[in-house]
Amino acid sequence: MPKSDLTISLNEVLFYFTRAGFGVKAPIGVSEDFARSNIWAAQNGFDPSECSILALDNLDLKKSSLSIKFEKNSKSSHLFCTEEKVLSSLEASVSCVDWIEFNGLDGELKISNVDCPFLIIASLGASQCSGVKASWTDQDNNSFEVNFIDDSKWEMISSSETSIELSHYADVYISSLDAVKSKIQNGKNKTFNLENEKLKVLNNGVKVGEKWPEIYEYFSRCLVKSSAESRASGAGAGLVDTD
Amino acid sequence: MSSESVLIDIESDFMRSPEKVMRLDRMGSSFPTRLSFMRTLIRRMSKENWQFKRTLRKVDKDGYGVSVYSAITPKRTYSLIAFTQEIPADMRTDRVIAEVWDATFSLFDGVPTQEDIDYLAENTPLQEGGRYRPSELVLARANKSLRVFENIISALASGNQPDIELISSVGYLMRTTAVYGSGKFGCADRAKIADRPECRAPFQIELLAVYLIRWFTIDLVEELAKERGGKQAVRLDQNISRFIGVGNSTGLGMAPFLLKHPTLIHNWVVAKETALARVRSIETALPGTLEVFLKSLLQASQHIDEWSVADDVQTARITCLTDEIQSLRMWCEDESNIFRPYPWNGIYQFVEDNFSLECQEMIVSLIIEPHGSIVDDLADTMSTTTIPKFKAAMSLAQLKEVVADAYKWATTIDFSLEESQHHFWYYSEDKLEPRFGSKGVDDGVDQEMPLAIGRDVHDLNEVLATTDEDMPIGEFAMNYPHFRHIIRRIQNTFERPYSEVQDNLLSESMRPLDLLRFKLAFFGASKFDPKSDLWTRISMYQGAPLPEQIQDPNHDCWSFPIAGRSQSYPCISCSCQKAI
Repeated sequence: MPKSDLTISLNEVLFYFTRAGFGVKAPIGVSEDFARSNIWAAQNGFDPSECSILALDNLDLKKSSLSIKFEKNSKSSHLFCTEEKVLSSLEASVSCVDWIEFNGLDGELKISNVDCPFLIIASLGASQCSGVKASWTDQDNNSFEVNFIDDSKWEMISSSETSIELSHYADVYISSLDAVKSKIQNGKNKTFNLENEKLKVLNNGVKVGEKWPEIYEYFSRCLVKSSAESRASGAGAGLVDTD
Repeated sequence: MSSESVLIDIESDFMRSPEKVMRLDRMGSSFPTRLSFMRTLIRRMSKENWQFKRTLRKVDKDGYGVSVYSAITPKRTYSLIAFTQEIPADMRTDRVIAEVWDATFSLFDGVPTQEDIDYLAENTPLQEGGRYRPSELVLARANKSLRVFENIISALASGNQPDIELISSVGYLMRTTAVYGSGKFGCADRAKIADRPECRAPFQIELLAVYLIRWFTIDLVEELAKERGGKQAVRLDQNISRFIGVGNSTGLGMAPFLLKHPTLIHNWVVAKETALARVRSIETALPGTLEVFLKSLLQASQHIDEWSVADDVQTARITCLTDEIQSLRMWCEDESNIFRPYPWNGIYQFVEDNFSLECQEMIVSLIIEPHGSIVDDLADTMSTTTIPKFKAAMSLAQLKEVVADAYKWATTIDFSLEESQHHFWYYSEDKLEPRFGSKGVDDGVDQEMPLAIGRDVHDLNEVLATTDEDMPIGEFAMNYPHFRHIIRRIQNTFERPYSEVQDNLLSESMRPLDLLRFKLAFFGASKFDPKSDLWTRISMYQGAPLPEQIQDPNHDCWSFPIAGRSQSYPCISCSCQKAI
């Protein structure tokens, strides 16, 4: 399994990504949501390992943090990291969805200095948010807008050729779809039909590329080394069954 | 009725509570019912007149090679591709960590081309070491019971029927040691097939694979007997072949599954408990049903007589069950005990008040059995597509209330005691085999699987006690992200009260076996044969009609089978409608 260029199932995305998150010491509940976000990304034709590897690396290297706080005033709200670090998109994504569920989208939500903005998009998608707009300009000055139009489709507008899942480090703004006009002039527009994309993946599987072995490496941290004793006593059945 | 839309009345006097049902000792006494998934599948096969064909047999004189067995439904064909090989006896192990097997299988979605068969020939025999595609629905393997396999071939080759006592003592020709579906190792995700009518009930495609494996094992011995005995060889007597099931060795892998799918488990249990409540609430017995029940008690007695295991604990339970069924038969001979209002509730209540859990759960199965017409619709409600969600809008006050109501079993455990946290669950690097470790003995506590439900609820409850109830739950989760998973679980339990095993799964006295039996009974397995607290052997499809018998009038009447004999009591109210 640790080799690259594999085709995996959505269930394997769930299994491996949950444990990869846990492998970099994200809480299990956050890791479960992280894996669900990756399923959504995979269902839309993205390689989940490309979407997630930076976020996992950052947590592992302690470049990012799961510590998060929110502030609210009459016009807007703000989610930010309480440490002098990048806000991990694993935590930013679940907190963003929670915030929308609890507060609704009355005004704008700013999420500061997130490492992988697309994971927030995937989390919104996995939570079936609709009527929501997300936008950001990343460290390389690429701008992206994502519009969750309804339950069946979403669209992406980008200012450059950079793949959305490779856009890193940005302040992400969330608002209701009709609250803000598009700021990207002459952008590239792509619309995703959720059912069609999902069907393609169910019939063909999820392609994972060169980052997959690194995901597997984080997953492997959840495995316990086997010993003669644990082989003999920790699980069922005999070691030889000749009856 | 769509999945999960069944109307249940949890407040009904006849509905057993989650506190009663979801305890390990009762779960570990479960028996299959007519709602078990194998029963559901066989009913559908018969109703839709599925056809079965062996479409390829390319094997040598010893039976080694490749074969294809197809099930043709009204809209689709599913094909079992079976690879057989000779393996060294000392490498024949039922453990996940095995490297070779007598037979390996892929269930293919459709009719495989030669190219598909060639691809699978390179992968299926490797099992977890191979890679599969969305065209493959199930991956499985099986090992022979050498003594039964050889005995049957020898007997049939010389023109005789095999030793029925030997068959009775084992029950199968091969036992599966893993049946993987739902996206494992690249196979198709459940979502690919979930909307197909034949796949809507739980585990139907996996159990179709097992059904075809059973047919394959019987076909294999008959062909090998013909090869060996020529014209002298005979086929198995139909009553004997129908009694032959498929064995299975089940270990710890099933336990984490149960804990990770609380919504599904709720649906299974609610369906069964609703069936029981419907039967108990009948004021006047439906015509003929009491007579069928009384006859089924006799058959159950004979079935129990053939249920012989080496395990001391289970042997004692079987002995007790034998006596209790006998006592119940005598009690039922007094007509005033049963021919009265609410007869089924009377029988159930008598058993609950006087007999063991093992007997109580067998009687649950037996009183549901004659009531297909009023319970079989529940089979459609046992699946789910719901994924428990974290609900940020719930108030902490409400969360506290749910913990207080539904998790008293957890909040009252003293987790400071060593015996309360004796065990932990982990995945071994050996083929990801799930294992059950002991703290202070085994490595891996840091990599513990998140299955410590009781302990996590207990810890959360302590923090909740000192937290302002007005704090939004989303903010609480930001401050305490390590509680996110358990909050989600508690929120799910609020809506689905039968979703949680209400015992400490870490305690020194915990027996994973109880979880295995609970799940296997829902599958429809019988003859539980515990080999330790960690694993059990079972039989699947014992007594079920073979493909050529699927249209027989008694196709739905195969609970508690007896060796070499057809069911001794007639059906009623089931889909075959055989007259009493």
